[in-house]
Amino acid sequence: MPWGKQETKPRLSPETIDYALAKAVADGDIVNLRQLFAPASPLRAWSPENIYSPKYAYLLPPSEQEGERLFQEALALVRDPDIAEHARAQLEKDGPPQLHAALVMTLADNAVRLGKFGAAAQAYEWLRVRPRMQEEFLRQGDTALDQNDIARAVAAYHAGTGLAYNYAAFPEPLPAVPDYQTRALILHADYPSTPENCVAMQDPAAFIRTALSYVFLDAETAARLDARPLEQRIAFTAAFVRRRDPDWDAFAERYRNTCTFVTAFGRRLAQDTPPAEAEDGGLAEEIEEQQATADPREIEARLLGRSIPEGEWWQYLKELAYEHPAAALFVARQSVGHGVEIVMPRLREDCPLVEPLGLDVTRTSRP
Amino acid sequence: MNDAGYVDYFAALELTAEAKQGEVRKNYRKMMKDLLLSIGRERLTEEKRDRLLLDMARLNAAFYILRDNERRARYVEDRRRVIALEEEWRGLAETGGAGAEEARRQFDRAMRDFLTTYMEDLVLEAGRDRECVEASNWDRAHERHAGRVLRHDRHRHYQKILERLPFHEVTAPRVNWEERARVVDAILTEATR
Repeated sequence: MPWGKQETKPRLSPETIDYALAKAVADGDIVNLRQLFAPASPLRAWSPENIYSPKYAYLLPPSEQEGERLFQEALALVRDPDIAEHARAQLEKDGPPQLHAALVMTLADNAVRLGKFGAAAQAYEWLRVRPRMQEEFLRQGDTALDQNDIARAVAAYHAGTGLAYNYAAFPEPLPAVPDYQTRALILHADYPSTPENCVAMQDPAAFIRTALSYVFLDAETAARLDARPLEQRIAFTAAFVRRRDPDWDAFAERYRNTCTFVTAFGRRLAQDTPPAEAEDGGLAEEIEEQQATADPREIEARLLGRSIPEGEWWQYLKELAYEHPAAALFVARQSVGHGVEIVMPRLREDCPLVEPLGLDVTRTSRP
Repeated sequence: MNDAGYVDYFAALELTAEAKQGEVRKNYRKMMKDLLLSIGRERLTEEKRDRLLLDMARLNAAFYILRDNERRARYVEDRRRVIALEEEWRGLAETGGAGAEEARRQFDRAMRDFLTTYMEDLVLEAGRDRECVEASNWDRAHERHAGRVLRHDRHRHYQKILERLPFHEVTAPRVNWEERARVVDAILTEATR
């Protein structure tokens, strides 16, 4: 295009407007819906932005989406005469737009369906129904637990906890986002003075309570399940961990293999040596002398699935918790001398989550 | 006139708007003493600790603002003004009057300023005031914890105000909670299918 000449913006068809709005609603995409009504929106007649240009292709549905149920339902809603008229008026209005509540509500419901809980929480918050919607999910989760329907209860609690809001966020409240990488550090903030004094070695009931508070990111929601039988809470926790982390089995396999690897270091590594009491030329040096190729730091690298150059224990823990949130429940800090600490697997033999989460080291492991 | 949400420091010290300086000091000392005694008696959970911290911060702020004539007059005036702006905007929004958007913006700015000034900034400032420190033993550890607790409290007040305000970013939703329960049920059924 010659310099100084502007491409003429093609005329917007009503169908394009409907399709763009329906896509945002079907995708549960609050950001795109807001953008469609922003001052420089490509849907505004006076805006120089052209929705047919490749940079806005993401605002229109690909052909394969057009036949999907959620899109068709959203399209029918967008074409409702009242909603369509309101949307057109807002696109022509000079000033802050007011979105139609029905669009925002359906968008929020779709966002929950698609697991976009942050978008859903924000949309429900606009509609001033978020706390009650969150409570409704948790209530139906409790009903499912009454019927021992674990899968449904997990889905309900997953959505319910996902709709949490952080009212202390600065400067504006925001949807609460999972921050396991920070919470894992809090969980392991104190060095366990004895091997038994760490999260993974708590008695089963206390361990399940800690696990639920951690995976829910909220102790208050975890307390809702306190009165439930322990067996049900165990089954629920295991199912919730797997729902939160669909790639859990990959970690479980690495965990089992790492446990096998740890035994190669013998019992000395399992003995606790608090950092203050570590002697010069401690365990790390001793092991290096005896097994020239072995380095205890390989344990955490195997757990994570990659090594971090010059990585500290907390770096491994953060990344581990980010990749597999519940992993932080089955590890402990371990001093290996020379002021070096690592993160290594630690479990109670009778830990109720070992079997359902596939952490049983007696299972077949790859050498 | 609905003033819920705009922190009332006279009420916090169980005083009327005409209370004299002596009454402010007397009530503050008595209430702070009672609070410190109850802190000593109670077994503190995280939730209770946050609540007591907030009570302490609120008493300190009330005393700090009301004992100084200039600060007190400014607080009273700011509170009166923000309530008047809310009334003005609600009136314009309900009648669809011209200037509703400008009135909303003006009110929104004033409300945020009011909540930030009187529920965060001056509360933290009060915690560094010699007389408040002496009466409440407020220290750096309190201040560190208070940031999060005060923001939560400010937002609780903001929500109280928001509940009665007209919708502006979205149209007012017509929420049928039975239908909402059915939607949640359908979502959960799909999720477990």
